[in-house]
Amino acid sequence: MRLPQYTLFRLLQLIPLVLVVIVINFVLIQLAPGDVAITLAGEDADPQYMEHIRRQYGLDSPVPVQLLRYLGQVIRGDLGASFRSREPVLHELMSRIPATLLLVVTSLIIAVFVGTWLGTLAARRPGSFFDIAANTVSIALYSVPLFWLGLMLILVFGVKLGWLPISGMRKIAGPREGIGYYLDVLKHMVLPVLTLSVAYMGQYVRLARSSVESVMNEDYITTVRAVGFPKRIIFMRYALRNALLPVVTVFGLQIGLALTGAVLTETVFTWPGLGRLVYEGILARDTPLIMGSYILMSVCVAIASLLTDLCYALLDPRVKL
Amino acid sequence: MTLASRTLGERLAGFFRHKAAVAGAVVLFVFVALALLAPVLPIASPEAMDYMPYQPPSKEHWMGTDNFGRDVFARVVWGARLALQVAIVSAGLSTLLGVILGSLAGYYGGWLDSFLSRTFDIFLLIPTFFLVILVVALFGSGIYLIMIAIAVSTWPRSARIVRAEVLSVKSRAFVQATLAAGANHLQALVNHVIPNSLAPAITNATILMGLAILTEAGLSFLGLGDPNSVSWGRMIFDAQRQLRLAPWLAIFPGMAMFLLVAALNFIGDGVTGALTPAGAGRGRRVPGLPGFGGERSSRQGGTQEASPADGAQVLEEGGDAAPRTMLEIEDLRVYYRLEKDWLRAVDGVTLRVPKGGSLGIVGESGSGKSTMGLALMGILPTNARVVSGRVTFDGKEIVAPGKSDYTGIRWTRLSMVFQSAMNALNPVMTVGRQLSDAYRLYKPRASESEVKGRIEELFDLVGIPISRIDSYPHELSGGMRQRVMIVFALLLGPDLVIADEPTTALDVLVQDQILAEIDELRRIMNLSLILVSHDIATVAETCDRIAVMYAGQIVEQGPTKDVLERPRHPYTSAMISALPTLTGPRRTLEALPGEPFAAIGETVGCRFAPRCRFATDLCRTTAPTESVGPGGRSSLCHYPEAVEEASLTARVPA
Repeated sequence: MRLPQYTLFRLLQLIPLVLVVIVINFVLIQLAPGDVAITLAGEDADPQYMEHIRRQYGLDSPVPVQLLRYLGQVIRGDLGASFRSREPVLHELMSRIPATLLLVVTSLIIAVFVGTWLGTLAARRPGSFFDIAANTVSIALYSVPLFWLGLMLILVFGVKLGWLPISGMRKIAGPREGIGYYLDVLKHMVLPVLTLSVAYMGQYVRLARSSVESVMNEDYITTVRAVGFPKRIIFMRYALRNALLPVVTVFGLQIGLALTGAVLTETVFTWPGLGRLVYEGILARDTPLIMGSYILMSVCVAIASLLTDLCYALLDPRVKL
Repeated sequence: MTLASRTLGERLAGFFRHKAAVAGAVVLFVFVALALLAPVLPIASPEAMDYMPYQPPSKEHWMGTDNFGRDVFARVVWGARLALQVAIVSAGLSTLLGVILGSLAGYYGGWLDSFLSRTFDIFLLIPTFFLVILVVALFGSGIYLIMIAIAVSTWPRSARIVRAEVLSVKSRAFVQATLAAGANHLQALVNHVIPNSLAPAITNATILMGLAILTEAGLSFLGLGDPNSVSWGRMIFDAQRQLRLAPWLAIFPGMAMFLLVAALNFIGDGVTGALTPAGAGRGRRVPGLPGFGGERSSRQGGTQEASPADGAQVLEEGGDAAPRTMLEIEDLRVYYRLEKDWLRAVDGVTLRVPKGGSLGIVGESGSGKSTMGLALMGILPTNARVVSGRVTFDGKEIVAPGKSDYTGIRWTRLSMVFQSAMNALNPVMTVGRQLSDAYRLYKPRASESEVKGRIEELFDLVGIPISRIDSYPHELSGGMRQRVMIVFALLLGPDLVIADEPTTALDVLVQDQILAEIDELRRIMNLSLILVSHDIATVAETCDRIAVMYAGQIVEQGPTKDVLERPRHPYTSAMISALPTLTGPRRTLEALPGEPFAAIGETVGCRFAPRCRFATDLCRTTAPTESVGPGGRSSLCHYPEAVEEASLTARVPA
């Protein structure tokens, strides 16, 4: 299949995925005990006002009708209005995306590069002290509770040493533009990014290590060793590309799932991101916001997996699209 | 370099690795003990608000007290109870679900498998943490609901692992035997397949336990935990508001969690490491080595094997002026380091290849023939060592203990054709690119057209269409790939080519074509050839002389015709009688009983004795010395004449 057709085909597959996500979430929310109208109107609202609210949000119609109505909206690109803020959900989500992207993408890039580099170093001398140390440290890294690590960093660098800001994305009275603004954001990023990248890094160390090791045991590496290529060239030109394929896969999956890690970090550092918004939406039973964010997440996951597959096809000629 | 030498780093590493899993087990044990004994330990009640609030850690309160005046140490101990409960229930439930669904998918296959596998994949793509948050937020934060939600979000991982394992177990002989004996599928699945597929699922369960603890803590930290239980996550959640005032409230529960989860992960890692076979992993391997089981029995009692120096296997050329020697191997010994012992893969081999001559080295897998090929090319794996002997190429010493000097020889004069051409070529580069890279390595100033011309010339010679130059290896047939490997070897016009199983894994017709091509090329280019194969017929077609290798030693060698017609070693004779003949009378194939011998540690007696039908007490106690017979033939057997006699009588048609 040609590239554009393949891409289109994969994008069309999004439709059933989004449908399934919507239905599952709708059913879960309907099954849950409690009444959304109470959440909206407040515990002690008078019955007349409750009725009004029900009618206004369409809660008086049967569930299948509500579901169909919602689907109709989504097709028109309307994710409804948040119960809490009364703002359009799409607008709310979009306004939070940049902060999360900044946090997650920076952390992922650091984790991938540093982790892969360390894993690769370890694999070049299998069984060496450095190798074992890298393995041990990476296991320890993904055993650390993320939020606790965040708190400890706050304790040391924020509270005790006072070097770095510990919450939010910028100083409230700080500069709003220019170099000062960027420096301010950068300073606020240090601790959350450190937390997240440490959490992501462990698995890249191990993945790169085992992948490089298995590639170095391949017959085609024996061939180039026999031919007499210098070690460095064997490694850089013949081994690394093949060894990085699994790293690409995991990276792609993780970009899609990045919000999971973001919610805890954003909570610890009160970072104004998407993970935090979704979490607050869930607590407030903000149905339109929950639905909207799950749709957004599943689309992200699917697109990340599409991009991964395209990258893979680019790197490995054996893969047919 | 002495055999026993390991670098300090390696020793430390092995020690440390072992220690990490052991330490994990100890930590886990302490946590389990504390959790079980919590109600009877002389510690405060976790809920009792008996003390002054906000006391820092002291002798009375090891971890201080919290805002309600509760003892933090007591709460951390009780928190371990909950953490372990969550870990065991969630991981257990998840593994149970995974084992049931994974084994159904793996065992029954078909539409059930594709449906279930698709489900696993979709689940793996869902941001499960958010699903758990949603479920807990909507349905309340009871601890049982949390545990179920964690199990439901993690089971596809276990299912995938079990499915893969079941797929491999179900095809094994003992399962098929059970089915043939009349057991139904469900019995076979429950009694035989599942028990044998559990190991990786259990390893995975230790990792899941850590994950479950972290997930529950994450939920508690978001304020979604069970408010009625003493949870580490909840303690940290409460503590964050007093981080400045009372940091110990956050430090200790987190430490405990980190320790427990790390302990579980180190145990998982250690178990995985222990399940990986000794030769594999950690960047080292022993080519073609069969399982070591059973072979050590021959090491008991008796006199020690004669030193191979006494019986050096010297090849006598006929009286005439011998042609120039291309390659000479003298008493070569290559040992692999195993966990404790040394495997003597090549153990005192002496061979000689004259210019333009061809020598076949035959032996079953594990005989050391491939290791010898790698040693001749100077590309042994890191755990192999040339212990003694030397190799000279055209009068220049290239290999000796601690020495490997191929200057001016590697690939330009001595090259190699590898087996299994599928993996011997890099899958992500075109064959043309790989060939021209190799050419340019030795002729860096070669012009584009010169490189291309050379490749095209060789493609033409071995019968590959020129258009294939831009193909990737996977786009070529097995025979074509093998031809590319031959082009690789011939690229720089070498004097000697070592071909290691060049036709294995090809179908028979293509095998013959390739062998004929190698033979022809040898004549055209006046090459010397060493052909390594497990198949005596392959070697017989192509080579002037045959050397038969067993357990690291050359047990017999001589001119091809003589060896085939009058073998003087029972191993050779068994290999020959295993060959089907087209013209002769039909015989049952004489399979060689027993496993190949792996020389580990000290060995006693003849290495072939355990499998030899002529073996006597002498064979079992004393290693044979080499006997040199007529025509430059040698045999490493106590009774070469008797074997020759027996093989002659066996040939008489019935």
